[in-house]
Amino acid sequence: MSLYLRLAWRNIWRQRRRTVIVVLAMGLGLALMMLYDGTVAGFQQAIYGNAIKILGGNIQIHAAGYDRDPGKSPLLPLPDDQTVVDAARAQPQVVAASRRIKTRGLATSREGAFPVGIVGIEPEQELPVSLTAQNVAAGRLLASEDEDAAFIGQGLAEAMGIGLGDRFTLAGGATHDQMRTRTMTVIGIYDVGLPEIEKQTIYIALGEAQRLYGVTDQSTEVVLFLHALGQEPAVIEALAPSLAAYEFGSWETSFPELQAALGTKGGVMNVFSVIILMIAGIGILNLLLMAVYERTREIGLLGAMGLRPGQISTLFILEGTLMGLVGVAVGIVIGLVLNGLLGRIGIDYSQFSSLTEYTALITGRVYPTLGTENLIGRAATVLVISALASLYPAHEASHREPAEALHYV
Amino acid sequence: MIQLLKLAYRDLGRNRRRSFFSALALGMGLGLLLLMAAVVDGEYRGSMESTIRLESGHLQVRSASYDESKASLAWEDLVENPDGMAAQIATLPPVEVSTPRLFASGIVAVGEETDAVRVIGIDPSSAANAPFSDGLVFGDFLTADDREGVLLGLPLAERLSLQVGDKVTLLINTSNGEVDQQDFIVRGLYSTRTPSYDDRTVFLPLAKAQAITRTENHASAVLVLLHDRQQAEAVASALQGAGLQMVTWEKANELLLDTEEFAAAYMTFLYLIVLGITATVIVNTLVMAVFERTREIGILSAIGMRRRRIMAMFFAESGLLGIAGIAMGLVIGGLLVAYATIQGFYIGDMGVTGIMLGDTIYAHLTLEDTLTLTLLAFVITLLAALYPAWLAARMEPVDALRAGQ
Repeated sequence: MSLYLRLAWRNIWRQRRRTVIVVLAMGLGLALMMLYDGTVAGFQQAIYGNAIKILGGNIQIHAAGYDRDPGKSPLLPLPDDQTVVDAARAQPQVVAASRRIKTRGLATSREGAFPVGIVGIEPEQELPVSLTAQNVAAGRLLASEDEDAAFIGQGLAEAMGIGLGDRFTLAGGATHDQMRTRTMTVIGIYDVGLPEIEKQTIYIALGEAQRLYGVTDQSTEVVLFLHALGQEPAVIEALAPSLAAYEFGSWETSFPELQAALGTKGGVMNVFSVIILMIAGIGILNLLLMAVYERTREIGLLGAMGLRPGQISTLFILEGTLMGLVGVAVGIVIGLVLNGLLGRIGIDYSQFSSLTEYTALITGRVYPTLGTENLIGRAATVLVISALASLYPAHEASHREPAEALHYV
Repeated sequence: MIQLLKLAYRDLGRNRRRSFFSALALGMGLGLLLLMAAVVDGEYRGSMESTIRLESGHLQVRSASYDESKASLAWEDLVENPDGMAAQIATLPPVEVSTPRLFASGIVAVGEETDAVRVIGIDPSSAANAPFSDGLVFGDFLTADDREGVLLGLPLAERLSLQVGDKVTLLINTSNGEVDQQDFIVRGLYSTRTPSYDDRTVFLPLAKAQAITRTENHASAVLVLLHDRQQAEAVASALQGAGLQMVTWEKANELLLDTEEFAAAYMTFLYLIVLGITATVIVNTLVMAVFERTREIGILSAIGMRRRRIMAMFFAESGLLGIAGIAMGLVIGGLLVAYATIQGFYIGDMGVTGIMLGDTIYAHLTLEDTLTLTLLAFVITLLAALYPAWLAARMEPVDALRAGQ
């Protein structure tokens, strides 16, 4: 085999110019894929990075049945939230574990009405780790004994035309088909620089949420804040056996539409990449077809020396695949350079942040990664297509009669 | 010139297989680009159509102080006597239909489940409701005097496990900045095949909506549909009056138009890379041709053919390859686009709320895109001949004649 490899390697560099051009085409194809992967990963980082900080916690634990239907957020109390909190706090990666009640609501003032998520929190638990608590623009943080008090975002305050100390109407979904309407006073305003996100959530004290929404002494969610991103699977794995009656969610599952969108776009991109690489593959096919003609005598000689047709085929397929391999190397270099540059400059996406709920989490520019996320798969595609492109020329080469080929001038 | 083309044609025919594959590469590239352009255009066209049909109309007449993002119901932010205004607008010749709409925010509650929705009060008899009445999947459409019926989008009803005839609690904001809640009966379920819209929009008859929000004889906007949307500006200036603002479909689609521009820049970049890869195939084919024909080129220049003419010969070859490739590309692209136009691509719910993206994208290929891409493909093919032609023209007649001996 190594003999074939050496032969093939020498052969592809006999016509350096051609090979360089073909390899460049393959490399460009791969670089394009890397550019896409890098941009997507950059977007994900931009979105998820902020999502965890702002929407609260790396892991959410709910009662079984909570996530049965995507998009639902029922007021389903945890059977025993204290056990969950205690179990979570025993894990070394967990910085804080906090109980919450989440429901949907409508905040209204003379200026208008805004659908919001209402989150009842344990201020003492969350405030040390929550980004909103560290960005108080006016007033003060919540305290657990607060009543009729709300901690709202700067974006919402501006939209509703209210300020610190002002009152507004907050209606929220309670258990058993009920809605509870209450006049709340703004005791604090947070500003995290994401107006669209700030409009989505209002914080109140857990005790008040329990009273208002009929979840006496219970909570609907326990959020865990971890030391670092990426520790989620380990923590979930450690907790799952002892908390079998609960469901675990992490930032990866918190935006089902984003996953769907990325899945569809990724699928389109895969088809697209195969077509582009097939075009580049035609370059390999043409080049090897030429090589078959040019080397007719040589092939005859190889045949006369006893190389079987299959072995001659192998040689040509190896040549094609080697070109693909060099293409991969070139592509990686181009891709890294392009992504490196783009990763420094960034892409300005701010004007489109209101497009979806998840893009609202993007602050300013998006910085692509180096795009090596799917590199192995992408490189494999290049190699497979290169090998496939060389099948036809290889077939041609192996079907030459040695005697005739030798006579060929 | 004719002679040159003949020569080029014969030269390409000498290695038919190679020429075919080179043209095929170009054809595949062009076909792919046509499909992409058609899908992107179809996506934006579809979104634009949806926005106009479902949301903005061609023109909306609003109170000057109305702010769309707030859905205020304060009287000063609303249009007074909207029925009269709508009837009056409908008499203008360019206007197809005109109807009042009331926009409120609300929450639906069923059991332990609550969900934020937009509540829209409509005049059920208006032809402008066609997308909803034609899109009725279950039950009945609303009637003007229905006091307890509500129309829900199919995905919302599915999520809340609601069926026609079920009871649902609706909480809505009112003109004085408070909220009111009431139980309604699900009259019907509609689907416009636009997930982001159907998922969060419920309809009430205008009179009922006005009653619960305490906005009697007021509406958020009078929606106008025109026979020809190009006349939106003209109609807007005709209707302009004190205390009113006119919002045309172009203004309502600003975000969409911005997104389209952003996407167009990305697409151009992609076009160039795809065509660049295609060009390498052609460059290689012609480079091979130059070296095969080294002696021939020597002879041609020895008998007096100018360098320019030798170069022109290779440009003629790439031009012919380009034409053949473009022909293939138009066939391949045409078939792909035809499929994507008729069948469409199902994309489901991508969570896009900022623009009205349907659950299926139907491709739409414009003549402009076709011409631009065809021309771009041809120019890049010609450019691909630059290097091989330069290689050929650079040869010294004597050396070239001796080559291969």
